[in-house]
Amino acid sequence: MANVLSNRRRTIILLALTSIILITLDLQNSSVVSGLRSLFGTVFHPIESVARVVTRPIGNTWHGIADYNNVIDENALLKQRIAQQEGATIAAAASVRLSQELLALNGLPTLAGINTVTAQVIGDSPSNFSQTIEINQGSKSGIRVGMPVLNAAGLIGKITKTFADRSVVMLITDPDFALSVKVVNSPQKVTTTTIARVNPATTSPVIPVDPITSVPDAATTTSTTTTTTIAGFTPSVTTLPSTPTGVSSITIPFASELAVRETGVIEGRGPSRQPTVRFIDNSLRFGEIEAGAPIVTAGGSRSLAPPDILIGKVSRVIERLGSAGPVLEIELVADLSNLSFLRVLLYQPITEKTTP
Amino acid sequence: MNRLILIIASRWSRLVLVLFLVLSLQTTVFADLRPFGIAAQVVLLFVVCAGVSFGVSVGAVVGLIAGLMYDFVLTTPIGLGSLALGLTGATAGLLIYFYPNPTWWMRLVAVAAVSALGEIYFPLAQSMVGLDGWLQFRLLKVIAVVVVVNIVLAPGVLIISRWTLSERKNPI
Repeated sequence: MANVLSNRRRTIILLALTSIILITLDLQNSSVVSGLRSLFGTVFHPIESVARVVTRPIGNTWHGIADYNNVIDENALLKQRIAQQEGATIAAAASVRLSQELLALNGLPTLAGINTVTAQVIGDSPSNFSQTIEINQGSKSGIRVGMPVLNAAGLIGKITKTFADRSVVMLITDPDFALSVKVVNSPQKVTTTTIARVNPATTSPVIPVDPITSVPDAATTTSTTTTTTIAGFTPSVTTLPSTPTGVSSITIPFASELAVRETGVIEGRGPSRQPTVRFIDNSLRFGEIEAGAPIVTAGGSRSLAPPDILIGKVSRVIERLGSAGPVLEIELVADLSNLSFLRVLLYQPITEKTTP
Repeated sequence: MNRLILIIASRWSRLVLVLFLVLSLQTTVFADLRPFGIAAQVVLLFVVCAGVSFGVSVGAVVGLIAGLMYDFVLTTPIGLGSLALGLTGATAGLLIYFYPNPTWWMRLVAVAAVSALGEIYFPLAQSMVGLDGWLQFRLLKVIAVVVVVNIVLAPGVLIISRWTLSERKNPI
């Protein structure tokens, strides 16, 4: 009996020491540990697949009972939203197309030029202390660790582990997630300069225009003015002459009044709290950040994501004393609780690319 | 040859096979069914049940092995879950240490209490290696759901853990 207890004590010590060594190796990104994980994944995957098939009816029954009313309500809400957004989508698509054409003309990279892999979510994290999901595409499809993952709304996370035919995606809300982002601060108001064609040298005084509604000034132009109030887009004024009076109006926003961008770092804070953006410069030029300002990826040679992928909008600004700059709470555009089909951008920054 | 058969027929080999099944349930059905957004933890429950049935040392060994297997499917550093579940199994085994013949309700109370502790050990272990951010008020909700689900599932898992870890005489 004493021998058995002694053996068991030895086993416990051995296992505990093994665990500590494995933690140390894993934190050093040891290839041995990665190999072990990959081997276990290969052995465990068939068992897991069988269990998934066998237990699917249980899951379906549960969701049928627990989520039925939510699905009905969500369906009604979505129908209403689709009706609202149909018109806006067409206008937005045209704007995006124009923007992409302009970027292409100027030789600037666009998301349209990056290959993507469509993947389906096949599992959630089994733990309550990691925000990850599993998708059904892996290294065979060209997916590598670090690649950004999007759904139809915007960025949802990045690849943290790849297997041959599946990958693990760390969501933005995971406390280990960090990515450089840009805050696009919309200008407070739009001013237009009207230039008369009759005498190009004469410039009329600057006329402030209310960003929400604008009434054409009959004394300056006889025109129809339209403005956009979509958060994140620079409000622009399109002036159309109603009658050919010899004076044509074109709108030239001042450079200082274009949307100002400032970089920061987005960090997850767990599923129950909104992610935050920190390290925003507290500069005068950037001005006051208001709720609703959009957050997009910053891009750059060291960033894992290309520029200008929409992440969310500012929901709250927490001011801090001194030069620390504000902390921004972010409302994500993607609904992370309801993910199904995703796109993995096959993008790697220049610094990550291996030369042949 | 006989030695090999003895090893294969031992309760520890049986434990690894059963843990594969428990782990597959954890990563599929229990990762999908999330009452109040919280995943039930059957691997944790199995370890706790082994502890309250067989004592500190068996609980610790089962916890260390189950945790190591669980670590391979998680994204956290390998070994972290092993230590947390090993400690949980040992804590559960204290019931036998203080009450050698516990009644059924004492086992259930122990399962509830140690399940709660187990859910605290894991984020604590995470924060010890710099993965902080999980010790927040949400932990109370996690503990509440995991405790309730574990109490419901405990009778069945207690039977399975006893069957798995029982010593069988003369396997050949």
